Amino acid sequence: MATYHLQVVSLDGMEYEGEVEKIMLRTVDGDVEILARHTNYCTGIGMGTAHITMADGKESKAACIGGMLSVMDGVVRVLPTTWEWDNEIDVERAKAAKAKAEERLKDTQLTKEARVRAEAKLYRALVRIGTAQK
Amino acid sequence: MAANMKAVKLRIKSVQSTMQITKAMQLVAASKLRKAKEKADNSKPYLGTLLDTLRDLAGGNHDFQSPYTKVGKNDKWLYVVIAGDRGLAGGYNSNLFKFMESETKGRDIEVLPIGKKSVEYFKHRNVPIFTEEFSEVAKVTISDCFSVARLLCDAYKEEKFGHIFLCYTDFVSMMSQVPKASPILPLSDLKDPDGEVKKNKSLILYEPDSETVFNTVVPEYLAGVLYSSINISVASELAARRTAMEAATDNAEEMIETLSLYYNRARQASITQEITEIVAGAEEP
Repeated sequence: MATYHLQVVSLDGMEYEGEVEKIMLRTVDGDVEILARHTNYCTGIGMGTAHITMADGKESKAACIGGMLSVMDGVVRVLPTTWEWDNEIDVERAKAAKAKAEERLKDTQLTKEARVRAEAKLYRALVRIGTAQK
Repeated sequence: MAANMKAVKLRIKSVQSTMQITKAMQLVAASKLRKAKEKADNSKPYLGTLLDTLRDLAGGNHDFQSPYTKVGKNDKWLYVVIAGDRGLAGGYNSNLFKFMESETKGRDIEVLPIGKKSVEYFKHRNVPIFTEEFSEVAKVTISDCFSVARLLCDAYKEEKFGHIFLCYTDFVSMMSQVPKASPILPLSDLKDPDGEVKKNKSLILYEPDSETVFNTVVPEYLAGVLYSSINISVASELAARRTAMEAATDNAEEMIETLSLYYNRARQASITQEITEIVAGAEEP
């Protein structure tokens, strides 16, 4: 299968650079899969698991949250806010964060902003757990 | 003579204790610098790629739908100024402020200072301050960067400002740090290193549409830019402090050397004088 050059750069540095067959990730608008020779494209990244199929057919997974995806003249750039490979995820910590966020959401007196924040925390924890366990 | 010797001795002691402090500060800065530099280096590729991508997008955008790509009508400039919390870092803070002064001449500005020195400076000069909430640069976390980004976005959308700039100190090398101002909003202000605005003729597919994309991406872009600029500034501050303290330690060493030479000469002179007096007294009878 045709391959293309993918760059994944997060705030913690260059996470991945190299030839890949395809990447699938969740955008603000639903799941998207980018194959070689895609047209120029740009979208925001949501919260979900990203699946990369390398040039040799091997698959990798990562929790990918926030940021943007752009395809510019054949160069695919993924600029997530957080990017964690499945083997780097601390599941215990994610579970603790999930429990804490759920606990907080039980409180009905919560302000709107605090609720949004707790919900975001919960989603992030769920994405991490999902990525690590699938 | 004896009184003079005592004064010199005291002086040596005082210089020595100052040297101890500068030496300690130099070592602390050097060890912190290693960590800070790593952090700054890690975030540099993100910043570079992000700016490249946004420049491409802003150049290719012809339909001007998002408020972030438009040049604001308001002729007010907001500067986010990242300085240090503490002094004794050579010219780190003053260079930045001097640069700010020449940069903002003749413009109607408001500032968002980050770092205690920055807050102090602009308060002293009576420059209008947007918010003082993020005064301590050492305590700014990634989630603070997101709150600043949200504040900036809201202010820009409400057309409080026509342009937003970021002023920080770039880490060129261990020995040289240069103050820099870079435009962050509107996106049409983003220029190539050679000063040209890229004109991209190819069409870009936005999903779901360009407005939504820009509206979700821009706050994250701002937070990312802020976070990495803060990291770079902190590394610059530590490098500047290390160099300054190294120079101070060297100077103190030199002073001690001169003073001890003077002290030893004076001691010898007083001994010689004593001997002469004794000999003269013994020959008398």
